Amino acid sequence: MPLNRRQFLQMAGLAAGGAALSGCAPIYTRLAGGPITLAQWPDWTHEPAYPLLRRVTFGPTLAERTAVAEMGFAGWLEEQLAYEAIDDRAVEIRLRPYDLIAQDADYLRLWDPEEVQRPFQQATFLRRIYSHRQLHEMMVHFWTDHFNIAITKGEVWALKPVDDRQVIRPHALGNFADLLHASATSPAMLTYLDNQANVKAWPNENYAREVMELHTLGVDGGYSQQDVLELARMLTGWSMKTHGWWGEFTFDETQHDPTARQWLGQTVAAPGQASGTAALQTLATHPQTGRYLATKLVRRFISDAPERDAPELVEKTAVAFSRTGGDIRAMLRVVLLDGLAVWPGPPPPKFKRPVDFVSSALRQLPLETDGGEPLQTELAAMGQADYAWPTPDGPPDIAAAWLRNLLPRWRFATRLADNGYRGTRWQFAPSLLAELEQPAALLAQLSRLLLGGALTPADSQALLAALTPTQAADLAQAAPVFLAGLLASPAFQWR
Amino acid sequence: MTVSHLTRRDFLAGMATGVTAVWPAWMPRLAFAPPQTNARGDVLLVLFLRGAADALNMVAPHGEEAYYRARPTLAIARPDHSSVNSRERVIDLDGFFGLHPALRPLLNAWQTGHLAIVHACGAPDESRSHFKAMALMERGVADERGPASGWINRHLASHNTGNNSPIRAIGLGETLPRSLYGAVPATAMHSIVAFHLSGDAQRARQMTAVLRDLYWQKDELGVMGRETLAAINTLEKLDPARYLPQGGGLYPESDFGYSLRQIAMLIKADAGLEVAAVDLGGWDTHFGQGGSNGLMAGLLADLGQGLAAFHADLLDYMGHISVVVMSEFGRRVFENASLGTDHGHGGMMMLLGGHVAGGQVLGDWPGLEGGSLFGPGDLMVTTDYRDVLAEVIQIRLGNTAVDQVFPHYQPTHHGFVS
Repeated sequence: MPLNRRQFLQMAGLAAGGAALSGCAPIYTRLAGGPITLAQWPDWTHEPAYPLLRRVTFGPTLAERTAVAEMGFAGWLEEQLAYEAIDDRAVEIRLRPYDLIAQDADYLRLWDPEEVQRPFQQATFLRRIYSHRQLHEMMVHFWTDHFNIAITKGEVWALKPVDDRQVIRPHALGNFADLLHASATSPAMLTYLDNQANVKAWPNENYAREVMELHTLGVDGGYSQQDVLELARMLTGWSMKTHGWWGEFTFDETQHDPTARQWLGQTVAAPGQASGTAALQTLATHPQTGRYLATKLVRRFISDAPERDAPELVEKTAVAFSRTGGDIRAMLRVVLLDGLAVWPGPPPPKFKRPVDFVSSALRQLPLETDGGEPLQTELAAMGQADYAWPTPDGPPDIAAAWLRNLLPRWRFATRLADNGYRGTRWQFAPSLLAELEQPAALLAQLSRLLLGGALTPADSQALLAALTPTQAADLAQAAPVFLAGLLASPAFQWR
Repeated sequence: MTVSHLTRRDFLAGMATGVTAVWPAWMPRLAFAPPQTNARGDVLLVLFLRGAADALNMVAPHGEEAYYRARPTLAIARPDHSSVNSRERVIDLDGFFGLHPALRPLLNAWQTGHLAIVHACGAPDESRSHFKAMALMERGVADERGPASGWINRHLASHNTGNNSPIRAIGLGETLPRSLYGAVPATAMHSIVAFHLSGDAQRARQMTAVLRDLYWQKDELGVMGRETLAAINTLEKLDPARYLPQGGGLYPESDFGYSLRQIAMLIKADAGLEVAAVDLGGWDTHFGQGGSNGLMAGLLADLGQGLAAFHADLLDYMGHISVVVMSEFGRRVFENASLGTDHGHGGMMMLLGGHVAGGQVLGDWPGLEGGSLFGPGDLMVTTDYRDVLAEVIQIRLGNTAVDQVFPHYQPTHHGFVS
């Protein structure tokens, strides 16, 4: 049942009331709308936008639910796609302590790796939690995985913040060819995949192989070992400055092999750097690239098995890629509006990867976090620390890869519920708890908050029965038990 | 390729906090069992070297002139190369092959007859893609048409040992290796020391009760939830903090060392472990691989010291242990201009255990001269990796249903194990 106007106004009023009450709170809390309130939280079980929002955000907040209720999913999506127009000062202010990472690589390099890595991961974390440009952040995450770069290799830690700023973020909702060219001239990528050492004497094939296998055509995209070697030769000399502006891209003509190439069934005869650029353009607009990207997008937002569950949608998305010359927004409209939004019945299950799991817990609770080290440690234990996936394929996007490691999630749920993380704290107004009176009423509200609706009677009973007499008599003590159970529950593990 | 998170500091901190919180002094502990002799066969340990390890520098064909021609800077010096420091030369094994000097700790196992090497070994896949090659190899199939489950999981599914332990199969790490995907539940665990719920004892008990009630579903998540709870229950009876390795086994202070040490403890505790899978990453040495020193030598030192410590620690148990070391493919015979090697084809496997045809380099050596190379200049594969695994599965683990583990493949018997 869609939210009616009365409920909507009620919720908007609650959000506004929260802002007014937070007079002494930091400015970013006021900009963000203030702490959310639990009372009269609506049941979203039958709200059609709720499952959609769970797929396209890092966990829907009250503000996002309210916005979708007001403008509809398609309207909200258009607003998200035009992300530049969304006021995001709230998150920008929070990121000020991490200004260091906005510096150039040759400056970052003067610091210790940890001094760069920590604010970098923290800033990324905070953007996911607090940015109103949720779809943009989702796509930043998608492309960060797609063009995976591990900061554990060599001096990549000093280069990847620049790649994030200049390659991934500006193009995440732009044109794929621009994104690919930016990535191919990104010193972080060239260092991570050894192209800075790709010289004409004996080429290094690493980047040339992965750009076809992982970034564009896909492993069965119809290229041969000979094509790998020829592309490697075309990309000889694509390197990074090691003096002067350390960490800037440079094309080293002296290391470039200028021979004309037979590659992917065509002759590439452009001079110098232009041969590599031409080859990348061929890859960036190849229909096979469109199919490969379409499959990955459908996998991210809809199903672990796109070929089985949504072959027509994949094809339609690939067509949008070709028709628009690689416009990412056009592809997303197909995936989300022609796919997700009109899916007959509930869309296929998507298991929350660790980042989704942690982010959604933090976004859906009334909570303040600094995204600090204790939370980063938890992401690592769950297997998805940011910028740390060692291999260029990026972290997997299927349930089977993640649901065998539940214990760190349960530990996180317990510790978060106990407010056991330095720098992270949830809080409900004491008056609210007093209003609710009974543990069962509190549990019902909390399950609406985290799961969108009520628990089954059996699950409810299990959580109520777990309370000690002291906890049952004091809602402030019961709340952590309920929160831990809800966050650790099977239902909260799905997007 | 695995992400290293557990430092020595974390490990010790885990012992200090985790143990006092979750293992109260009164809790009964499992005594270490005598070497187990039941019907379920050897404990299998599978080490996967992620990134395509350079087999040619691990077990170098020092008797082959072409090896030195192809690798003017990366080749490991001959055992009798008098102008090179003796610690940087190949350690001769049989007059033709020799161990990388960083693998010196394995000499003891070699001399005891517990270590065998199958050279020029690998998979038929020619994609030279890490991800495709690993996926096919871990699924134990030749192409995309085979089953999606992993070969280890199909072994467990097709071999009823009457063992219901929640730690029948484990993967050490944050994500489970693909070889363990499938119908039989298998748990990923980074650390046994840390495998417990958080909070004080009362909180942990309360949470356990809640989770037991909430994870009732028949789907994979429900099953994994119940398995995880059972594993917590089993493992909290162990006392990893006080585990003392035997035989002077000094495990390296690395993720890999901790993993092996924990597996050794589980084996001695007879807690029901049948298969453990461990990943060791970082072998994709396109750049700066190094020879007897450098990047790869460091990885090999970890591997060699870890395996040697495991062997020494479990010497009394070796009759019931099989260790397999494998990688998705080998590297190009010729070095590239960045002191590294690109993706190749043939690799090698190591077998460690009390019943391997040890002290020998096995398999047919195709040679490295021009005509005997494969594709762009790679070592040929003369032994399919499934031949090696099939013998271990059939002879050492006692599973007669090898056709279910490797469908549509007829393994050849070579006598790698007895």
